[in-house]
Amino acid sequence: MGKVIAVHSYKGGTGKTILSINLAAALVKHGKKVCLMDLDFRAPSLSTLLKVEKADYWLNDYLNGICGIDKVLIDLTERIRDGGKLFVGLANPTTEAIRDISAKDRKWEMRALGRLLSLRNTLLNDKGFDYLVFDTSPGLQYSSINAIVSADLVIVASTLDKSDVEGTKRMLKELYDLFEKKTRIVTNKVLYGENIKSVKDVRSQMEELYGVPILGVIPCFCDVSRAKGTLIFVEDKPDHPFTKIMDEIATELEKMKV
Amino acid sequence: MGTVVSKQGVLGKKHIRMLEKIRESLEKLNEKMEIIIELQKHGGREIQPLPETPLDVMTLLSMPDHLRKTAMTVCRLGRATAEEVAQQTHRARAVESAYLNQLVIMGYLKKERKGRKAYFYVEKENQG
Ligand SMILES: Nc1ncnc2c1ncn2[C@@H]1O[C@H](COP(=O)(O)OP(=O)(O)O)[C@@H](O)[C@H]1O
Ligand SMILES: [Mg+2]
Repeated sequence: MGKVIAVHSYKGGTGKTILSINLAAALVKHGKKVCLMDLDFRAPSLSTLLKVEKADYWLNDYLNGICGIDKVLIDLTERIRDGGKLFVGLANPTTEAIRDISAKDRKWEMRALGRLLSLRNTLLNDKGFDYLVFDTSPGLQYSSINAIVSADLVIVASTLDKSDVEGTKRMLKELYDLFEKKTRIVTNKVLYGENIKSVKDVRSQMEELYGVPILGVIPCFCDVSRAKGTLIFVEDKPDHPFTKIMDEIATELEKMKV
Repeated sequence: MGTVVSKQGVLGKKHIRMLEKIRESLEKLNEKMEIIIELQKHGGREIQPLPETPLDVMTLLSMPDHLRKTAMTVCRLGRATAEEVAQQTHRARAVESAYLNQLVIMGYLKKERKGRKAYFYVEKENQG
């Protein structure tokens, strides 16, 4: 059976979205059938970054019980040459939709969790997806915790920023552990210098600090920043070191039993 | 000889049915006791379960660990007996039964009897 991966972080701007897109693309390159979902309803990004401006139905509609999940999914397989299949589910980026979803009550959030859990069954068991990748909002947002509870694995994107590291440490103990979630860290935007000279340094320091395995260490790449999110590096820059790291992470995930 | 064997067979079946009935009654009694014990813990005043309360993730987060495990399992399974929950949590059926009934009293779960089995589930009646 397939796996559900939630990409989460304590702070914003840690690279969740770019990791989600490229991780999904790397898994597709490995021949997998993948569904990438924008569960960051506070700041939806995937519709813009994947250049799908029009959708008949959004994930918002699915969670509201207005439509089934098959109405939401958009086939983007053509975006990735050679490989499996890529589908996306988008969050509605209009201000009205963001306002609407921010005003939901506990009862709605409870039903949203029920619908996420049933989406999981539909896509993995009936539709034959190998992976669902959830891009989420940072911190303790309802929608993100719903995504975490529905996932088999949480990938936490963290920078080396002090407040980010401390927040990530707290979430490990007070969020992921409480739900007994398998958790892996990706340390992103690493700048090498005095104390940190190599990937090995980062790995050992972070593993010591967090007490969970480090899935990947990604340097700060000016190319990534310069692309403004418009490129899927794994597809568009096959020889870039960022692509190589994402490919290694995808390989590692395939080896993991969740 | 053949008739004796069949007679014993009939007797055996009768006995088994009786024992099953006793077991059933004991289980029902046990559940009632658990509820009474729970209510006593709450001062014995509230006879009725608390009003229905949504079992959302923030509520799950703030629950004691032992109850969260049970509640999460019901969320995942959708609808389950104490036996089915126990299989997932690797805890004893009687333990899960006590926790499940506690969650019912707290208003987080609903309970429904179907024949000899009690099913626990999260209320979703208004779901679209
Ligand atoms: N390894 C990296 N090197 C350089 N820039 C990066 C890297 N990872 C992410 N970024 C940039 O940081 C910004 C935030 O990334 P994003 O994926 O949107 O984060 P989040 O989804 O966590 O808010 C984007 O402009 C992105 O291009
Ligand atoms: Mg994002």
